[in-house]
Amino acid sequence: MGALTLQANEMTGTAAPEQDRSTLHIAVDGLTKRYGPLVAVDGVSFAVHRGETFGLLGPNGAGKTTTLEMIEGLRRPDAGRITLLDMDAVRHRRRVQERIGVQLQSQALWPELTVEETLKTFQSLFRRRVPVDSLLERFALTDKRRALVRDLSGGQKQRLSIATALVNDPAVVFLDEPTTGLDPQARHSFWDLIRDMRGEGKTVVVTTHYMEEAEALCDRVAIMDLGRIIALDTPGRLVRELASESTIEFGFPETEARAELAALAGVREIRHEDGDVLLFTDDASATLGALIRFADQKGQQISSLSVRTATLEDVFIKLTGRSLRD
Amino acid sequence: MSLRAFVQMAIAQWTILRRSMVFLVVSLMIAAMSMGVFGWLFKPDAQAFHLAVVDQDGTEPSQALTQSFGDLDNVKLSKQSLEKEMSKLRDGDRGAVLVVPEGFAAATQQGSAAIDVFYDNSNPIRIGYVISTVEAVVNGYNERVLGQKDAVKLEQQAVSTESVRFIDFLTPGMVGMTIMFTNLFGGQLLVLWREQGILRRLGVTPLRPGILIASQALTFATVSLAQVAIILLMGRFIFDVPIHGNYLWLAVTIFLGIFAMLAISYVIGSFLQTANAVNAVINLIAFPMMFLGRSYFPMDPPAALNPVVQAIPLTHLNDALREIINHGGTLGDLWVSWAVLAGWIGANYLISMRLFRWQ
Repeated sequence: MGALTLQANEMTGTAAPEQDRSTLHIAVDGLTKRYGPLVAVDGVSFAVHRGETFGLLGPNGAGKTTTLEMIEGLRRPDAGRITLLDMDAVRHRRRVQERIGVQLQSQALWPELTVEETLKTFQSLFRRRVPVDSLLERFALTDKRRALVRDLSGGQKQRLSIATALVNDPAVVFLDEPTTGLDPQARHSFWDLIRDMRGEGKTVVVTTHYMEEAEALCDRVAIMDLGRIIALDTPGRLVRELASESTIEFGFPETEARAELAALAGVREIRHEDGDVLLFTDDASATLGALIRFADQKGQQISSLSVRTATLEDVFIKLTGRSLRD
Repeated sequence: MSLRAFVQMAIAQWTILRRSMVFLVVSLMIAAMSMGVFGWLFKPDAQAFHLAVVDQDGTEPSQALTQSFGDLDNVKLSKQSLEKEMSKLRDGDRGAVLVVPEGFAAATQQGSAAIDVFYDNSNPIRIGYVISTVEAVVNGYNERVLGQKDAVKLEQQAVSTESVRFIDFLTPGMVGMTIMFTNLFGGQLLVLWREQGILRRLGVTPLRPGILIASQALTFATVSLAQVAIILLMGRFIFDVPIHGNYLWLAVTIFLGIFAMLAISYVIGSFLQTANAVNAVINLIAFPMMFLGRSYFPMDPPAALNPVVQAIPLTHLNDALREIINHGGTLGDLWVSWAVLAGWIGANYLISMRLFRWQ
């Protein structure tokens, strides 16, 4: 892999990933897409630096995929500018597409072709080409090279699908919900693949609706809802700034106690969800002590108590008042 | 680079087609079967044929001879006037016309009678059968009735009819129809790929739509050429359908036909969302085209329909194929049909490129 990366770097003149992160690979400004009265993407702006792994997070229908499709050249924006690798992505669509790699949400592969034929076919579409053998090896598909795509397992198909996105040694890689439908083990080995790309200095843009995925992979995350970016920062800072530090979740029978619960030590906010109470707190131990004393006073049982540190999920709930998977 | 993409895409599609055996086998079987079915259906020795006996003698022996033809199951006996029967023969409606001359009865007494046989030599397969039937009957009559071999001789005379045999007419029509059906489904494949998201995937690569379409056209052309070869070879070697014209002009016509049908299918594909819808619309236009385009029947449409018939690409494909295969047509006979086909290709290609979308 090292040799391959080196070769690619020579060809593009790409610097090592640690250096020169200030260079912009993607700059999106005021991007808008309407479908009739529906505004699918509403004035979205963000920038992604070279070598950065950037996450687009949000529920289904938030506009993540439409945003990506405009950047990738599949849809024409109604307004806004997209600059990719210093080129106008709308005007120089094909020149940009020459340098990007895309994995779409649906695995669009020909079931009747073999793994090797699939890679060769995609490879033929680009000027710059990574040797098929090295891709097969890297994605653990070497012994499947003559297998038909329709006979592959879900994880193998997914790996092949990513491999097709890398046939041209792209500078920027777009992955649209790459781990949806994978079991946890496959998902984790997938994260390693994405980290490898980052190690090679590739810029990666990934959409997901899995919080832990964004937290595990991304340097920065943009949270989208209803066609807009409602927050954009590193996962750590988003959690610190927008959410309380911890969330205490429990079942409590007395619903009239809401105001009293909200007044407990350290509680920033209270929310009821499916009969459970959620307390957002900056001081988990103080709140817990107060909560237990309060329950004793009332003579009520607290059931299924859990304490967890805040996640991007909490950030999303905080920002939108809705859960991500609604 | 475009060339590389074109070649590799064509290879990939050919591989896909090869592995979707059903499609390939069915399309080649259709060609062989339609040729076989129609070839044998219209091969006359499988059927009874019309035989005319014009009895100018009107005696007992001549009537007995006539009757021995009428007794045969596979002969439909007709006894109209000589003039009428000869005109039927020229129309290809009679296997043979037998004339029993005046004085036949008297001549048989001397053992030197003769009857004239006029047969239709435009159908070499039927001739053999007709003549052997007539000879068998006359020989039987000689031995049974007259007790003497060669008492009645056959004076055979060929009458070449103007009309082309039906199988000759049918073969170019079948070539045209097969080209139409196979290539109209090019657009369906494109829509299927769009439905499956494969076009979206290709749409984020630098692949140009024109290269994709061209590689698909090449793949379909290959299948079409195999079908056409089957039909023409079966025609030539089983049903004796000669190709009178220039093979180069034939190839030009076949390719124009293939691309005209593909171009139409891509326009249909640009308007419709699902492969099933495309399938329905293709059938909706293919069947009227098949009949109005004179694939099976030499027909004279009502005057009102004439502009439609003349606009249909299949009409011109069939016309050009018949000119070449049946009549040895040259450029002077072909250019109108070629121009119409080229017009269809150009216009539809422009429209489908304008309407092309990856998703």
